[in-house]
Amino acid sequence: MASPMVSPQQGTLSWWQRPWVRWAALVVLLVVLVVAPLQLSEFTNQTIARIGVFAVAVLGLNVVMGYTGQVSLGQIFFLGFGAYVTAYGVTNEWNIVLTFVVACVAPAVAGLLVALAAARLGGLAIAMVTIALPIVGVPLAKRLSDFTGGSEGLSTAFARAPEWSGLFDDQWQLYLVLVIGGVTYLLTRNLVRGKYGRAFAIVKGNEAVASSMGISPYRYKVLAFTIASLIGGVSGFLYMIVIQYTSPETLSFGHSINLVAAMVIGGSASIVGSILGGIYYVLVPQLTNAVDPSLTALLQGAILLAVLFVLPGGLVSLPRALTRGRRRSHASRGPVAPPTTPPSTTGSGTTAEEPETERQGHA
Amino acid sequence: MGKFVQLVVDGLSTGSIYGAIALAIVLVNQATGLINFAQGGMAVLSAYVAWWQTTHGVPIVVAILVSILFSFALGAVVERWLMRRFERGDPDTAVVVTIGLLTLITGLCGWLWTYNNQQFPSLFPLGTVSFLGVSISIRSIGTTLVIIVAMLLLQGLFIGTKLGLALRAVAINPQSAAFSGLPVGRLLMVGWGLAAALGAVAGALVAPQLTLTPGMLDNALVYALAAVILGGLTSPVGVVVAAWIIGVLENLAAVYVDVIGFDLKVAVPFILIFVVLIVRPQGLFGRKTVVRV
Repeated sequence: MASPMVSPQQGTLSWWQRPWVRWAALVVLLVVLVVAPLQLSEFTNQTIARIGVFAVAVLGLNVVMGYTGQVSLGQIFFLGFGAYVTAYGVTNEWNIVLTFVVACVAPAVAGLLVALAAARLGGLAIAMVTIALPIVGVPLAKRLSDFTGGSEGLSTAFARAPEWSGLFDDQWQLYLVLVIGGVTYLLTRNLVRGKYGRAFAIVKGNEAVASSMGISPYRYKVLAFTIASLIGGVSGFLYMIVIQYTSPETLSFGHSINLVAAMVIGGSASIVGSILGGIYYVLVPQLTNAVDPSLTALLQGAILLAVLFVLPGGLVSLPRALTRGRRRSHASRGPVAPPTTPPSTTGSGTTAEEPETERQGHA
Repeated sequence: MGKFVQLVVDGLSTGSIYGAIALAIVLVNQATGLINFAQGGMAVLSAYVAWWQTTHGVPIVVAILVSILFSFALGAVVERWLMRRFERGDPDTAVVVTIGLLTLITGLCGWLWTYNNQQFPSLFPLGTVSFLGVSISIRSIGTTLVIIVAMLLLQGLFIGTKLGLALRAVAINPQSAAFSGLPVGRLLMVGWGLAAALGAVAGALVAPQLTLTPGMLDNALVYALAAVILGGLTSPVGVVVAAWIIGVLENLAAVYVDVIGFDLKVAVPFILIFVVLIVRPQGLFGRKTVVRV
């Protein structure tokens, strides 16, 4: 829940909190992102593009789950939906802008319809309704073979580099992903930092408090879910740019679960965490495959557990954990950082108690 | 008519499997407030343990009993050394830890015993019995009966013994239970162990039918979760009844409703959930819980 608010009034800003350092870092990052695709190998470019795709999907999931606290196990469905719409639009030679808009809006409408019903329920019931999306989505995609190409799926290669740019296809695709994904990230960041983000946080924290403050939990849950679906649709469009092929397998339940895992591993309710989640989602299977294909699942599970064991707050909490560790080893006589008591079953953890009762209350 | 009865009995048998896993999920949820996605995976691991013994000449009944004991220990160990660290933290993290555990166990089974289907010997003969002119498979009846017996035993444990009383106390309020001197940590281990043991029974019963693979119970887990929500998290009996309803309805819908068919029968429990939850958000048999602000 701790929002990374930086208050500039603080007397002792550490160096990376100064505004000019942040702007400089941003400029450097932009330059790197513009130059890098031209220098890197085709394989690296494609990997980064895939990371971009799934980072956007994880970002969408973060809006509904990380920021608003509604467990969604169906995010992959919206990615798949967006991908199918894109593929269908491209095969039928729609205008590409129109295709993009429909690929975003159609999943958003689907998400809105699901949310209108699901948000009436609390806690785990939402999870169950959203679990249904990939579970039912796969046979449904096979059934509607006129639109989806059945089990064989659809493949389209529409994002070829135009002549004038002089770029290779992989570079062009990476630029597209970076621009569309970057805009999505920027918009989402503004959303969750502003009025809506605060409303989401209250709904996540305590629904009764939210309604007493005039914030309708129902309305904001529906909103968060719709936005998550919209972002899912964007990631589906990007998916077709990069992977150029979709089949019922795209929206399988296993992938949806992995997205949730990636979100928590990256860092819940965090923009940077969403990117880290995307990196995790793409790189870890690649890594484990490279080590030994027969051990993939075993290693993935082990890595997931190991990361969460060390960093229950996700990868994004790594710097915080490091500083805390350093502070503790440096000044053992100083005031000890408070929230480091190991969880004990008998202790009356007042902070941890609230979400638990909340959850049981809605189930 | 004969087909109908056969479908209903088969539905009850698969429903029993879902019910057993659902009950295991409820046991864990009541004790620790989280949903264990690895419940099915742990059951598969214990089924593999039983199968591995049979390949070494151990009789099937003994093998299954040993695997149930193994599962109990596994559940307790997982609670103590893995889940306890996350039980008081963010519930989303705890859920993802169980997802990681599921992946780990699936990978472990695949690595040790390959991803190929293994033939698991059946506990029951494969024939059918004729009853009032309807033939019903012995396996379906046997599966249903064994699960019912297991549940009655569990119910007896919870209601009739001191251990059961302590377990219920921990589930209702861990802090008060700790204050009155109950070893909460150890009781949580027992709770997880019992849940895993129940899952092991389900795994051993369903393995001959589905043939043993690391992902054998992935689908069953989804149905079990559906049953949990449909029945209501607070009602063990309701969960089992919901699982039977799901098993039977799904079978009937697949055969008698053309639009659904065998490929979309998985949608049935979710349509059911959707309708039920709109009317009764606490589930069919659950109690409405009140949140203190």
